[in-house]
Amino acid sequence: MNLDDVPVVNYVLESGPDDPVFDTLLLSGPLVIGILALVGREPVSVGLGVLYLLVFAGYLPYKWLSGRDQDR
Amino acid sequence: MNGSYAPVGRDIGRMLQALSGLVLITIPVSLVWGEYYVLPALLLSALVPLASGRLLTSAFRDASDPGKLHGMMVAAAGWFAVALFGSLPFFLIAWTVALDPVLLEPPTLSGRAASTVSAFRNPLNAVFESMSGFTGTGLTMTDNEEALPRTLQWWRTFIEWVGGVGVIVLTTAILARPGSGSLTLYESEARSEKIHPSIVSTVRTIWWIFLLFTFVSILVLWLAGMPLWGAINHAMTGLATGGFSITDNSIATYDSAVIDFALIPVMILGSIAFPIHYLILQGDLKNLYTDLQTRWMFGFFGGGSVLLSALVYLSGTYDSWFDAFRYGLFQFVSAMSCTGFQTAVDSTNVALGKWPAQAQLTVTFGMVVGAAAGSTVGGIKLIRLATLVKGIRHRITDVFVPDTAVRRLEIGDRRLTEEAANRELGEAAIIAVLWFVFLALTTFVLLLVLPESQYTLENVLFEVASAQGNVGLSSGITGPGMPTVGKLFFLFNMWIGRLEIIPVLVLLRALFTRGGLYR
Repeated sequence: MNLDDVPVVNYVLESGPDDPVFDTLLLSGPLVIGILALVGREPVSVGLGVLYLLVFAGYLPYKWLSGRDQDR
Repeated sequence: MNGSYAPVGRDIGRMLQALSGLVLITIPVSLVWGEYYVLPALLLSALVPLASGRLLTSAFRDASDPGKLHGMMVAAAGWFAVALFGSLPFFLIAWTVALDPVLLEPPTLSGRAASTVSAFRNPLNAVFESMSGFTGTGLTMTDNEEALPRTLQWWRTFIEWVGGVGVIVLTTAILARPGSGSLTLYESEARSEKIHPSIVSTVRTIWWIFLLFTFVSILVLWLAGMPLWGAINHAMTGLATGGFSITDNSIATYDSAVIDFALIPVMILGSIAFPIHYLILQGDLKNLYTDLQTRWMFGFFGGGSVLLSALVYLSGTYDSWFDAFRYGLFQFVSAMSCTGFQTAVDSTNVALGKWPAQAQLTVTFGMVVGAAAGSTVGGIKLIRLATLVKGIRHRITDVFVPDTAVRRLEIGDRRLTEEAANRELGEAAIIAVLWFVFLALTTFVLLLVLPESQYTLENVLFEVASAQGNVGLSSGITGPGMPTVGKLFFLFNMWIGRLEIIPVLVLLRALFTRGGLYR
């Protein structure tokens, strides 16, 4: 069974950002929030939240810089 | 309703079916919180719009694509219908608690909790709350939001979140109906720019951007120290620039500078147009300063916050520069982004309604202007302000150049011909004039119906600008005890504010003409 065959995943991959990092952030967002709800405010959950934000915040400058390199 | 109104009936039916889906999505929240007594009320709240919607869509299934007139009527009537049917959860849950059926065992409430929930037994209060939610206004009929059942807290949040993007945008995304009809409806819901050539792709892109930002905002607020349930609700209403809260004193309840500052970027995200978000997410960061509206937005947020901070500091409202800046920045961004979160309340510092008149008017200015068109905000919007300012300057400087000179009005990266400039300037002027006409009308009515000497003119102007700009900040006028006439006018102000007035006037004209009131 491919990842594309899972209903929600399939919908996100087809109608979503068409970008692997944003697709992953979209699909993992509810999971991360679910983990925070179950675990509470613990170092592990805080680390997970920080990691999610770092990936999001870091990916934008990365895309900008790689886009500039391609333009040169 | 004859054939010419068939597209209106069919599309309102579709919107009502989408609404019933929203109610059904709420049921898991009730189950998670163990509020089983709300289930019959929620099921009935889903069933009524579903049945009404099915009836309309099947009766008008052969209707043609909507034209411009129909598009505006669908937007106006559809939003009203959605607000009306969306009030059912408030109304039915309040009556469930009041009637206390044996099998359902609802909680026994007392004091402020009882009065908060029982306020929604009045249908007008329930419709007010629903309209306030869907339009992203945030003015409320509740006395203490913390006392609401979790299901109603969620429902208020959820309808603001959906309303921020738009009910028609939601319906289009679900139905995936391509063609000119969807474009017409999309444009009637106060949106113009497309992200992709296809309207269905455009609305789907809007939704994934909005969803991604929601997850990011929830995590930002949670890491800033907000409890998770608060973070989920405030992230959703903050991003949608709606402003409903689940706490008694809005964001002031937390009394945390970190949370105040963490909410600033959330509200800013909601103030930027979706096409610009899309470009930024593609790595085109220069749009943060090359796009006219985004540039102006940062300029206004910065300048307005500094001015407001200076006003409240120099007037002695706050003793320290830090406090003045903290509350000035938050309240100006909250006002101009049309969010309506409040940190200036009596329980922690000085309520907005008690700020000096010049500070209240500065906040009012932010609420009237609003931020970027194409985002989730209300108000006149920056692109119209830019068009008016640049257009007036263009007209005045026209006198100083020879008649033979060919001049172009430049707005952002567009150079408009004389005809296009006249059209855009005319549209911006019409919206702005109508905006002030309805602002003045409701202000006049409120001054008549409110108890004398209880509220100042700046309090009333503030509240009306808040309702019509879909902001939600309050100087203390709005509440369940507000005169009925005031509630009815605010319902109208919120409705026209969300749809930028014209579609509502088109609908009313069509109704009055067909009703024979005038020809």
